[in-house]
Amino acid sequence: MTETDDYEHYEAVVVGAGPGGAAAAAVLAQQGVETLVLERGVDAGSKNVSGGLLFAEESAPYTLDDLFPDFREEATERPVTESYMHNVAGDQVHTIDLEDVHEAGVEYCDSVLRRKMDSWLADQVHELARETGGGLLTEVRANGLLRENGEIVGVTCDELDPIRADVVIAADGVNSELARDAGMMNWDEPDDYFQGVKAVVDMPEGAIEERFDVDDGEGASHLFAGDLFDGVRGGGFLYTNDDTLSIGTVFHLDSIADERAEPQQLLDGLLTHPLLAQWLGDDYEELEYSAKLVPDSKKVAHPSPHQGRLLLVGDAAGQMQAQGPIIKGMNHAVSAGALAAEAFVDSRTRGTSSAGDLYEQKLRSEGVMDDLRPARYRASRAVTESDAVSGFTDALVDSFVGRAGVSLLGGTVESLFNSQFLLGMIPDTKTSYVTIPQVLGEELGEPIEGGPSQVEPPDLADRIGDLTYNTDVGNPHIEVLDESYDASGTAVTACPVSAEDFGGGCYRSETVERDGTEERVVSLDTQPCVECGTCAVVADTDWEHPRGGKGVEYEQG
Amino acid sequence: MPALDPNDYDISELGPEIQSVEDLDELEDILEAEKAGKDRVGAKKLIESRIEKFREDEDDGEDLDPTELSPADLANELQAIDSVERLEEIIEAEEAGEDRDSVKRLVNKRIDSIQGSDETDGEIERVPPEEKYPELNHPTEDKQYVEDLEDGVYEDMWVYCETDDGELLDVSREMLGKARSLMDGYNEAYGGDERVVGVLIGDGVSDLADEVIACGADVVVSQEHERLRRFRHKPYTELFAAMARAGGELDEDPEAGDSSWREYDEPRYTLFPATNNGRDLSALVQGELDSGLASDCSGLYIEDTVISNPAKTHGEGQKREFQAVLHMKRPDFSGFEYSTILCLDNPAREFHPQGASVIPGSFEVPEPDDEREGEVYEYDFDLEEDWFRVQITDYDDLDSGVDLTGRDVIVALGRGIGDDPTLGMELGVDLADAFEDADLGITRGIVTSSYDFDGHVEQYASEERQIGETGQIVEPDLYVAAGISGAIQHKVGMDDSDTIVTVNTDTDADIREFSDYFIEGDLFDVLPALTEAVESGELDVEELAATGGASDD
Repeated sequence: MTETDDYEHYEAVVVGAGPGGAAAAAVLAQQGVETLVLERGVDAGSKNVSGGLLFAEESAPYTLDDLFPDFREEATERPVTESYMHNVAGDQVHTIDLEDVHEAGVEYCDSVLRRKMDSWLADQVHELARETGGGLLTEVRANGLLRENGEIVGVTCDELDPIRADVVIAADGVNSELARDAGMMNWDEPDDYFQGVKAVVDMPEGAIEERFDVDDGEGASHLFAGDLFDGVRGGGFLYTNDDTLSIGTVFHLDSIADERAEPQQLLDGLLTHPLLAQWLGDDYEELEYSAKLVPDSKKVAHPSPHQGRLLLVGDAAGQMQAQGPIIKGMNHAVSAGALAAEAFVDSRTRGTSSAGDLYEQKLRSEGVMDDLRPARYRASRAVTESDAVSGFTDALVDSFVGRAGVSLLGGTVESLFNSQFLLGMIPDTKTSYVTIPQVLGEELGEPIEGGPSQVEPPDLADRIGDLTYNTDVGNPHIEVLDESYDASGTAVTACPVSAEDFGGGCYRSETVERDGTEERVVSLDTQPCVECGTCAVVADTDWEHPRGGKGVEYEQG
Repeated sequence: MPALDPNDYDISELGPEIQSVEDLDELEDILEAEKAGKDRVGAKKLIESRIEKFREDEDDGEDLDPTELSPADLANELQAIDSVERLEEIIEAEEAGEDRDSVKRLVNKRIDSIQGSDETDGEIERVPPEEKYPELNHPTEDKQYVEDLEDGVYEDMWVYCETDDGELLDVSREMLGKARSLMDGYNEAYGGDERVVGVLIGDGVSDLADEVIACGADVVVSQEHERLRRFRHKPYTELFAAMARAGGELDEDPEAGDSSWREYDEPRYTLFPATNNGRDLSALVQGELDSGLASDCSGLYIEDTVISNPAKTHGEGQKREFQAVLHMKRPDFSGFEYSTILCLDNPAREFHPQGASVIPGSFEVPEPDDEREGEVYEYDFDLEEDWFRVQITDYDDLDSGVDLTGRDVIVALGRGIGDDPTLGMELGVDLADAFEDADLGITRGIVTSSYDFDGHVEQYASEERQIGETGQIVEPDLYVAAGISGAIQHKVGMDDSDTIVTVNTDTDADIREFSDYFIEGDLFDVLPALTEAVESGELDVEELAATGGASDD
């Protein structure tokens, strides 16, 4: 008899009510598994951000509308019916129609806003799970793993007693506390991550149809690359929602850190670019500013995302596919979540292999792992991403011959970007994000039409002020371990709600006099925190999520 | 539109609000209003669970099919069915189906409990605990009054008025106000003439009697002594209980005071504050008076109730109506749920007074009515030496924090002091000192900064002086904001100030938007000039203009 025998027990505990957790819980509940879902937000989706496109691939083992009837009618925004990539150089732009690559193997692709989508999913999940004797609890934060004799046997929470479970499915996002507790994830290297920031922008009625030339019930996707981001490696996106736009930027976190770039300024650079004036109009109203870390699955998708009873799903397992203009995460999380659930049910009936081993097998046999970690990329990365090669190709593209080559390519550039096979090989260097698009813009681009942009994005203080927080007063969830500027100063710029010379953000750079010598340090106020996790990677911190129901609450997501 | 619009409430507020709604249609309306309005999942669940509760109450098991239910679920459902006929039908249905013994046993048990089983035949035989369990050593044997009061007379609502440093605590006022409205309702409903009795114990507390009456009491009873200056369990408990019994059957010392004003044995209801001392006292007094206690309550109302629990009725299967029961609501699970506690007489034992401790802030502080009249009775029970076995040899006032609300003037500092935080703080303190009733506030930006303040001003940099969303909310006559940019989180803490004067080098700072006067300048120059002006009573505008520019927004 041990103490833990007294704890409540469920057959399955799913941590996190995003698409991965929802898919896992739905499959478990449909198989009659007693399932408890824990969500730390006040409502599912209130902690969740994505760029905003949900792909459903023809080859995928599971999609959300398979699992949840009426999903597309109830929970998504607009299907993407047009897709473009804009390569910008100064006041010139070269636009490529990405229809082929966008639609290749894709059953549909809808824009989504996560608060709406995830909270709708959570309602369905709660109903399903309730039938099994479980359900979905919000405002409960699972903070670690419950162990017995060294084995994982459940989860511990801030708000509840520990809970035992036969399987723990961790769908708790990119900053997964369970994966960290299991030693399967850490915030070591900035180059394992991308950082995305996004503005959700209000559109007057009918404006989307008019400005994007789409019909009601159709939508557009626009991607941006080139010289509009001060050389920081990454790009921008714009997606149409029902009556809003999702506009954002995604950069390699190491590049943001190295360049000491301010993410909100990079976003503003996109928002105020003359190219976007045609869509944004004169009255810019930003509804919500948000940010998120994105794991680079090519590097960190866990090859064996399980340990004992713990199965990792979605961002928690690094399952986010970002290659060139293609960013797919939610669809993989859905597949993985459902496969993890399937694996648990199979292992119970067969009793031969563990749920974890079956899950890993399924990820491979269903092709999920190959999307996430393409062998082509692994083989070519060593050569193409070394700085020397990158510098060489940059120089080559810049050379007369290189430029002539690009110009001669002409229409074939379109087919290059439209080849999924080639995209899988594209190295993540400045060449592909900046140099080639810029040269394309310069050599093949047309002048951007229309006047200068009238858009005036809100400043950071207003963006923070417009967000809803339930601050856990006196109980900050992040602690700076080394406050010296050398160790943690990068957070001042890289944190999406901090900036140099801004006193109202999370990280502030301060010069203090100590024992007669001046010292540059950072101080931290966690109140404006949007819980993206950037500082956990670029600074020396002790980082946790806030307790259940506390912290930022996204209305859009 | 329903009587209650859920969209006006946070989810945490909505819980307590809908506890008072018992009408199914009304609840359905509220649910619709929520769906049409904010459509919050949590709010809908809350309302739905309330609806479900009443549906269950209404459900008499018409549609109940035992073969579809597990024994455990069935046992719950059966509790709602009072018809023997219907229960027999359920047995038949089970026999036709799975014919589970466990289920049939359950239903038969329910039938027994409704009909009253043969063995007990109504009346339950009472055996005193000492006889029933002779092998136990009974501490209750020492307790003089257990079950001694039979057919006791209970009247009035007694309120323990806790004091601190010669003043009533707010919660004492809150309870008096609530007791007033409860007893007004009681007298109206039951045609009585019962009173609110305020209880004061301490040193020099009789000075507070007028205020206790102004807040709603009809009678004040008190005992004073210098030895009662600080709260101690034993003497306070003994004195409260002695006063509660004075003039009644259990009065031990009728000479201790005039009890001609009352003709009952013990109070009908008692209220205590759920403060540290009040929690101690409430449990001890209610134990001494041989009754129960509902602790940490946040809602009170008086209502009749019908009970079928055999412990409270005279036998199985009977129902008994209890009149004028104090319903005591207390939050459970951090306020996710509420329980309503009732303290009801047993057939062979009376549980009075019905007592509760009340969470401070649960009720409104009443507007004192100085015209109210009331009677004051002082008692003088012997203070037994034995009660003072615990000596207070030393005490310390815990730092109760800084209260910035209620000041005429607040001088607030922001990160503009960053160039020399210690000097900035000194200048702010100087300006606050120059006013008669002023104090210093700071922004969250300072609280969370890494500034190294010198020892003499370090105390001002703590969280207890923070103004804003996560700090204090102030609305002084004059708010001087120096070096504050005016983020929304700060604005909500000071926006209702009468006059806002801002000192800032940045003319684009957000705070300018909601300032009455904006002084463009460095606070290190401007604050000393303001201090001098306040001290001398003259504003040297030229000097001010020399340090910065003033503009009237």
